[in-house]
Amino acid sequence: MRPPATLRLTLSSLRAHRRRFLGTFAAVLLGVAFLTGTLVMGDTLRASFDTMFTGATRGTDAVVRSATTVTAAGEAQGTRGPVDADLADRIARVPEVAAAAPLIEGAGQLLAADGTPVGGKGPPTLAGNWIEDEALNPYRLSEGRTPHAPGEAVVNRGAAKAAGLRVGDTTVLRTPDPVRVTVVGLATFGGADGMGQVTWTGLTRADAERYLTARPGEATSIAVRAGPGVSQKELVAALAPALPEGVEAITGQRAAEENTEMVSGRFLGLFTTFLLVFSGVAVLVSVFTIHNTFAVLVAQRTRENALLRAVGAARRQVVTGTLAEALAVGLLASAAGLLAGIGVAAGLQALFPAIGFPFPEGDLVVTAGSLALPLGVGLAVCAGSALLPAVRAGRTAPLAALRETDVDGSGTSRARALTGGTLLAAAVGTVLAGVLGDDPSLWLAATGAGIAVAAFVVLGPVAASVAVRALGRPLRGANRGLARRNALRSPGRTAATATALMIGVAVVTLFTVFGASLKATMDRTVDRSFAGDVAIGAPSFGAGGSGLSPRLAPAVAALPEVGTAVGLGSGVAEVDGRGRALTVTDPAALARTLDLGEVRGTLTGLGADGLAVAADEAAASGLAPGRTAELAFTDGTRRTFTVRAVYERADLAGDYLITREAWAPHRTQDADRLVAVAFADGVSAADGKAAVTAVADRYGQPEVQTREEYAEASAGGIDMMLTLVYALLALAVLIALLGIANTLTLAVHERTRELGLLRAVGQTRAQLRAMVRWESVLVAAFGTLGGLTLGGFLGWVLVRALEGSGDSALAFAVPSARLAAVALIGLAAGVVAAWRPARRAARLEILRAIGTE
Amino acid sequence: MTTATHTPAAHAARVLDAVKVYGRGDTEVRALDGVSVDFPAGRFTAVMGPSGSGKSTLLHCAAGLDTLTSGAAFVGGTDLSTLDDRRLTLLRRDRVGFVFQAFNLLPTLTVAENITLPLDLAGRTPDRARFDRLVDTVGLRDRLHHRPGELSGGQQQRVAVARAFAGDPDVVFADEPTGNLDSRSGEEVLRLLGRTVRETGRTVVMVTHDPVAAAHADEVVFLADGRLVDRMTGPTADRVLDRMKAFETDTGRPSAAPPATASLTTRGGAT
Repeated sequence: MRPPATLRLTLSSLRAHRRRFLGTFAAVLLGVAFLTGTLVMGDTLRASFDTMFTGATRGTDAVVRSATTVTAAGEAQGTRGPVDADLADRIARVPEVAAAAPLIEGAGQLLAADGTPVGGKGPPTLAGNWIEDEALNPYRLSEGRTPHAPGEAVVNRGAAKAAGLRVGDTTVLRTPDPVRVTVVGLATFGGADGMGQVTWTGLTRADAERYLTARPGEATSIAVRAGPGVSQKELVAALAPALPEGVEAITGQRAAEENTEMVSGRFLGLFTTFLLVFSGVAVLVSVFTIHNTFAVLVAQRTRENALLRAVGAARRQVVTGTLAEALAVGLLASAAGLLAGIGVAAGLQALFPAIGFPFPEGDLVVTAGSLALPLGVGLAVCAGSALLPAVRAGRTAPLAALRETDVDGSGTSRARALTGGTLLAAAVGTVLAGVLGDDPSLWLAATGAGIAVAAFVVLGPVAASVAVRALGRPLRGANRGLARRNALRSPGRTAATATALMIGVAVVTLFTVFGASLKATMDRTVDRSFAGDVAIGAPSFGAGGSGLSPRLAPAVAALPEVGTAVGLGSGVAEVDGRGRALTVTDPAALARTLDLGEVRGTLTGLGADGLAVAADEAAASGLAPGRTAELAFTDGTRRTFTVRAVYERADLAGDYLITREAWAPHRTQDADRLVAVAFADGVSAADGKAAVTAVADRYGQPEVQTREEYAEASAGGIDMMLTLVYALLALAVLIALLGIANTLTLAVHERTRELGLLRAVGQTRAQLRAMVRWESVLVAAFGTLGGLTLGGFLGWVLVRALEGSGDSALAFAVPSARLAAVALIGLAAGVVAAWRPARRAARLEILRAIGTE
Repeated sequence: MTTATHTPAAHAARVLDAVKVYGRGDTEVRALDGVSVDFPAGRFTAVMGPSGSGKSTLLHCAAGLDTLTSGAAFVGGTDLSTLDDRRLTLLRRDRVGFVFQAFNLLPTLTVAENITLPLDLAGRTPDRARFDRLVDTVGLRDRLHHRPGELSGGQQQRVAVARAFAGDPDVVFADEPTGNLDSRSGEEVLRLLGRTVRETGRTVVMVTHDPVAAAHADEVVFLADGRLVDRMTGPTADRVLDRMKAFETDTGRPSAAPPATASLTTRGGAT
């Protein structure tokens, strides 16, 4: 059976124009691959974590823990109260229980053989007690022995490798108080070097209680193993009567699920959403590239289509034919993209652990959904992008004039300029209404930003002719002049080509501006609120690190060079029913190293029942000096506190200040996140810093930072985020580059005779290449400029829309050096994109080119 | 007749034992089969011959647009076979002018810009007075800022003629310059070529299959089957037509009207 005529035409056309579909193919492939890679990686991570947590609690049939958790606003994971470690003995006597062991877990960061901290760049750095019951202990000894005496430790094999530690070595464990430990054994987790990239140090129970809990006799939870024939549910039911008030039991399975959920919700959700957004950008960019390819192809095939119509093809057949071509390319490219995406996920799985990113081991998980979605997107993008060109192809009159390719003014109509101008005005209006009021509306600003993007796309062709003329004005010489005119030939096409790049550059610019603004804000915060001379910090990201020893601040304060040294610890409590983070500190001393702004009331003598509250928070929760608030702690106790002071600046100090005295009865593992130090009068910066560093070295070697270093370190996460964003956006820019290259290739094909003529009358190959290159650079310059403008505007909108009022307001900053680099990269992209088309053009044989129909 | 500014060598261009072979084996076509011909400076020479005679190939090789399989081609005293692609391109730009049958102009450039294109490519500033004289000769002063798309076919070819002479070339090669024009426009273009040669002492080599066009030349050379078969000075349309007829009888070809319908043409050597 012969396929229908339309299909045969489609296939033969695809075969004939293979090269011209390369750009489209590559654009779809990259977009689909990115999307597939993201989805597969997300699924794989989820499955790996699931396996990991199930493995961690495989022998645990029930977990007994405190029923009280307090979750501070903005945090994903709550803080749970401790249980009585002796409860384990009582539980062990329940007939259904085979064994019960207290589980003590806290932050504990190892120092490597060379004194640098291990891990802390995302995954937790943990320490705990070594559980002798094999079924309840997820770790297995692989070398050496278990800890028996104080100061002995088992380290998971991965951490030991990273730290360069061997059995018998002695090092420091920051709990955060530095503890000297001797490695007596190495442990594996489920056969692997560790639980993902988590580092774990196992101590004796006595050491764990001493260093990881607020007081001896406390445990994080109790792991319970059921007797023979007792199911997890039956076990939980049997435990209930033995538990004191405020303590609950859950099945081991539920505990694993909670852990997985916590990681999925807090880390994976964010991670995949983040990647999906960038896949979206890449796909959007490819839409423009593909649309452009088909628009050009249809224009080039006017004669062919006219002939088809003349010999009796229905309009519908021409449209279907073009769409079928798009779908065929989409299908092929998507299929290749799916494979590439799986490859990308596999590659990342291999790469991430190497750079310290938590990517647990395990097989790739490829679900039908993570294949179907990218395939659907690939096909939809192709068909959708080709729809308008296809309809245009269908409208070809059978007697379409067989004219030379000429200058076409398409896309510069007055109606377009008017529509675009109106849209732009509407966008600016909406945005200004959204961000300039007293109460910025993110919703209005986002709507305005959306309209602005649309306006830029609509205005593209109009702007293209104006901008290329202006950008090309300084270009002298025949070849550059020709390049300028070629770029102006079809403003619609130039704009569509440049739009792809514009979107990529706009997103890059948006993030660059936003990142710079955040940094500027951070700088300003430190500048304004940090009144001390040096800060001691323990830089860490995510769940890693263990903070600073609480004994550090008093030790530093005792130095003759130091006037004031005050530690800022973290606490958490429900204040009148709302979870809030507390800053545990000496408020009176704090005021000497941080500028808290105007203080109403007094910060001295807060005692065990006094609070200080930041002004904004006080206003929001109706607190004022003299009022009382009820604080509920994780240990289940409730205390009434009196607000003694309201201070103005919360940016470094936090919203609530509470004394150590008040916090002590309810504290968890003790750690400071920052020690702010002010030198005594007359002490030089160098002397002071040297003295402080000497003390800090005795407490786990945290970093001693000057104000500038502190500001920079605080902004370190922003640079990391920006680097990641740039890496992800490189793909979108690559697709845009392919788009420019593709359009140029099509243009070169279209202008074969002109190129032949130019060569005949004396244009050298080098000149011809330069001409094509300059055209490409002009298009790229237009796209880059548009992107910088649009991105800068959107960045401003974002900063304005997010800003609070007063002190917490974000500072808007334009990083000119970085943006100049972006502009240069955009122009370089133009040069690179022109490389192949220019070479092809220069290779044309003159006589054949002139003779080309 | 020469002008003070233009002192040509005895031969503006010539080919020696020119052989051009396309394809190989069974499909081998000898488009030029040992042609030696010189084009005297200051003359308007027409190259005539039936389709497939190799006349276009001769022109392309003499002008440095194509290379000979063997033999030599000279522009002035320069042996083209000694030049690489870049030098050949520069020679075409600086010392040769072209008028093709069609598609002579860049659609993005104005008439004035098209005329000065070779000069612009060379980075030379056109001599104002010369340019004005040229524009007046071709009669396009009121069209200078139009684009080619706005001109008639005859006007476009006149622009091409102006472009060909703008760089003060040693020789202008015209490949069927009137092939796409109606007879009146064609006549104008041919007169323009003849007048320019006679008034300014330039050299023009024109390929044509039209005896009427050939009659505008000072001399006609006849080509058949890749060989030079005759020369005629002071041609008239009738004499050329007669010669063509006789020549077809000579070679025993099936008789056809002299502007031969494309029959035995070869791809590369098609006229």
